[in-house]
Amino acid sequence: MKALWTILRKELLDAFRDRRMVLVAFVVMPLAIPLVLAGTNALGARKQAQQLEGSLQLPIVGAAHAPNLVRWLESQNVKPLPPPEDVDAAVRTQEHDVVLRIDEKYGEDWRAGRPAQVEIIFDSSRPLDSGMSVARIRGLLDGYSNSVGTLRLIARGIHPAVASPLQVGSRDVATPEARFDLSQQILPYLLLLLAFIGGMQLAIDATAGERERQSLEPLLATPVAREAIISAKILATSIFALLSIAMTLVAYRLAFTIVPSGGIDASFAVGPLGLLQLFLIILPIVLLGATLLTALAAFARSYREAQGYLPLLMFLPMIPTLVLMVAPVRTQLWMLAVPFLGQNQLILRVLRGEQISALDWAVSLGAAFVVVGAVWLVAARLYHREQLATSA
Amino acid sequence: MIQVEDVRKSFASPTGRVQAVDGVSFTAHDGQITGLLGPNGAGKTTTLRMLYTLMRPETGRVLVDGIDVATDPAAVRARLGVLPDARGIYKRLTARENIAYFGELQGLGRAQIAGRTTKLAAALDMHEFIERRAEGFSQGQRTKTAIARALVHDPRNVVLDEPTNGLDVMTTRSLRNFLLGLRGEGRCVLFSSHVMQEVAQLCDRIVVIAHGHVVADGTPDELRAATGCANLEDAFVRAIGTDEGLFA
Repeated sequence: MKALWTILRKELLDAFRDRRMVLVAFVVMPLAIPLVLAGTNALGARKQAQQLEGSLQLPIVGAAHAPNLVRWLESQNVKPLPPPEDVDAAVRTQEHDVVLRIDEKYGEDWRAGRPAQVEIIFDSSRPLDSGMSVARIRGLLDGYSNSVGTLRLIARGIHPAVASPLQVGSRDVATPEARFDLSQQILPYLLLLLAFIGGMQLAIDATAGERERQSLEPLLATPVAREAIISAKILATSIFALLSIAMTLVAYRLAFTIVPSGGIDASFAVGPLGLLQLFLIILPIVLLGATLLTALAAFARSYREAQGYLPLLMFLPMIPTLVLMVAPVRTQLWMLAVPFLGQNQLILRVLRGEQISALDWAVSLGAAFVVVGAVWLVAARLYHREQLATSA
Repeated sequence: MIQVEDVRKSFASPTGRVQAVDGVSFTAHDGQITGLLGPNGAGKTTTLRMLYTLMRPETGRVLVDGIDVATDPAAVRARLGVLPDARGIYKRLTARENIAYFGELQGLGRAQIAGRTTKLAAALDMHEFIERRAEGFSQGQRTKTAIARALVHDPRNVVLDEPTNGLDVMTTRSLRNFLLGLRGEGRCVLFSSHVMQEVAQLCDRIVVIAHGHVVADGTPDELRAATGCANLEDAFVRAIGTDEGLFA
């Protein structure tokens, strides 16, 4: 036990004296991730506001055929533009988000009381760019169509309600916390990834690096049990990773305070209790990552080989996020027992401000610690191999 | 005292199993310096690794102060001061911190560590660099730090694998005196070397290893008598059967 503490202290001292490692873990990561997230968030919010409230630039083909419609659109904050020469190409190359084409026979049909044709030209493969503008122009045209239709019915002495048998309303029951945006959907993955491989440098350095620098053999020749050695190295890695995550979370929160989000509720709605919950949720993942990385570093024949496995590990925490993105499912209790999937669900609950029951906690933490224990046994076995110290 | 009895060890290689150590036996006594002499690849390092419990012998046994390495490896490691072939020290720690780390791992208290460090630093002439971080240490400074760290717990038995490898003349000389000092304190000193002159100069007892076997074992005088050579150098060459790799 005393040896464990000695090794833990030495590994942390060694790591904190490594300027590059400290710089990456406590400056680069905590700055880069929140800035990117907050930046995209602010950008998205500004674009949304522009598309919703700014005047809509709308090239119109055949504007002369429907002067009344064009005038009405102008009154609705739409700015008509002369049409480009090749409409389809202009939309496809994103020169314009959306173009309106008015049929030559518009006037004729209008006067005859037949549906007059207008056409919205857009590129559906770019919903993020043009979706808002398309929805806006569609809404305007529907509104115009409805109001003229109503007037026509009244002119013929028919009550307009006859033509609307249904009145469809909608009510959104989401709580404000649950209406979070894109950056917060990425947050669970980022948290899990950081938790999982945040200590990678230290873990690989403490085993594969120690062997490469020829100091593992003397260490193993001391009376300290190998189980104590790996446990200390795993704990050092975990503590380092947790500190890095704490810095990142604080920076994340600060980033949203500094970067204006443009009226959209993008605040990181988690209070101190939520932060504590997040920490508890990712704690087993931190341990799992540290143990797995240590086992890997003991298994690999060299530092480089150990690093080679990292892309594979980075993919693991991604799986549940991807699955949930493609096929959202209702949370069931067994899911909480699956590493990464369970933590992903719990993080989402914290972010949405939902309750986590004692049973949920027990299942998630219990299952995670069983997995950690199993990987620890593998790591300990690997540390007992004769090749560990002598193959370098 | 270190007793090695008929140990064997083989390794898998692409061309089949290689018998690295094939029935090695010898005894290293307290108050003596025992030299393990043999050309590179003779099985010296593997023999020592079995001795300090990093490898398990396939047959035979090793006793350190009467304790079987196989039954109580932790107790054996506490009684051994080991300078392995790998002697990396922690670059971001000072020489003193490197030594203290191993002292704590050996279960020593703070005061004990400080006392031993002062003694070892004086004996190994380390005062110049003891407070410096090990980054940029010379080979000699690294070796001295590694030796001090190996001996911080004041072990009765000292095992050194090629201690003079890569050292300059002056450092080799001071290391030689240091080993003689250890012998004077009544310790059991066992070191391996492929440099014949060094072994001849220092050792009370010489164990010559070639191809995993002990080919000669005795005091320098006994070796000369057994091989019928007046010159120790000729005696070694005759014992091994070749002079390959024996000259520094």
